[in-house]
Amino acid sequence: MDSLHHFARYLSGSAVDAEDLVQEAYARAFRAAPTFAWGTNLRAWLFRILRNAFIDGRRRTRRTSDEDASESASEEVPFAHEPLFGDIEMEALRGAVAADIERALSALTADARAVVLLDLEGFSEGEIAEIVGCAAGTVKSRLSRARDSLRKLLAQYRR
Amino acid sequence: MDCMETRTNLLAGRRGLLSPQEAASLQEHLRGCELCTRADAADIELSRTLSRLPRRDAPQALKRRLESRWAPRERRWPRRVGQVVAVAGVGLAVAAGATLFLGARERSDAMVTEAVNDHLRVLYSEHPVEVESGGIHQVKPWFAGRVDFAPSVAFAGDQDFPLKGGSVAYFMDRKAATFIYGHRLHTITLFVFRADGLPWPPADGEPVGSQRVYVRDDRGFHVLMWRHGDLGYALVSDTSPTDLRELAGRLATPGTGSESPRTP
Ligand SMILES: [Zn+2]
Repeated sequence: MDSLHHFARYLSGSAVDAEDLVQEAYARAFRAAPTFAWGTNLRAWLFRILRNAFIDGRRRTRRTSDEDASESASEEVPFAHEPLFGDIEMEALRGAVAADIERALSALTADARAVVLLDLEGFSEGEIAEIVGCAAGTVKSRLSRARDSLRKLLAQYRR
Repeated sequence: MDCMETRTNLLAGRRGLLSPQEAASLQEHLRGCELCTRADAADIELSRTLSRLPRRDAPQALKRRLESRWAPRERRWPRRVGQVVAVAGVGLAVAAGATLFLGARERSDAMVTEAVNDHLRVLYSEHPVEVESGGIHQVKPWFAGRVDFAPSVAFAGDQDFPLKGGSVAYFMDRKAATFIYGHRLHTITLFVFRADGLPWPPADGEPVGSQRVYVRDDRGFHVLMWRHGDLGYALVSDTSPTDLRELAGRLATPGTGSESPRTP
């Protein structure tokens, strides 16, 4: 349950929401137990339930609008035109403290954040696809784009 | 590989998840591309940075809340045992489940549902094992006074199926002695309980060991159930049915190191 809470905490960015999400996930897991499908990974299943609860909660409270706006903007940067990731940026990345990391994570879209966090939890590409409900083939590019955004964000903070 | 593909594969490349051809192609690109080489170095640094993200474990109060909410409702055994069970065995779970699903299903299917719910409870539990296994001879006496029968279990665990320990659970309306075995990465739970008054399926099970065993699937778990004497047994896991039958065979063959076998 600790790793589920860890995921909820950074996904939602709030201690209160994290607790609600874990409770909601357990309640749903309980109700949904009869639909638990053959061959499904139980841990991934719980994470998926929690992530769905998070999406539903956001839909209800309408906190999505600003995030959705920033989503398209941050995604398409042609590699050929981007500035070199130089020594100053590296220094900033090295010096990033917990608060910076949290801030950078919260600046990502919820989907990007989920993919990064799930990867850190050790889930495979296939499991991540199952949890966030996307095609397995897109996880790798989603993850690399999300990490790319994180690097750039963290490099900015200390410049 | 172009820059785009290279970026996508940096992490997988470092983790050794690419095919030899992809890995070679990635290295070749990195040798000739300053931008991607820098990005790779930065991504390595990012992994270090992310490892400094503080762990946010669930607060104790939340754990307690979930535990009390999903624990089984019936707790009528003596208080000190109740406390042990409250802290440990019943865990966070899909507990009250049986009552929810009872009406909709065949009566004997309710036993299968219950077995899977109880197994899920073990899986979800923070402390699935109340008594660590130092061998079956430590686990079995531990049940004395905790359940009102002597759980007769013929199989003490071995390298294939190590016995991890035991706990007390509820099976339908009664207490069950729970034996937790491992098999590779899977957890296998054996519930032993009084067999009388339960909606057992008709006696047409398949022969396993010296018993006739009912084999059912539910929600991705396999359930094997059988009766022996006054006792009922339910074995649950998501491990392969073959492995589970293998373990059931050892369990359902009395006389290999347990109490005197009783004839059904
Ligand atoms: Zn390149």
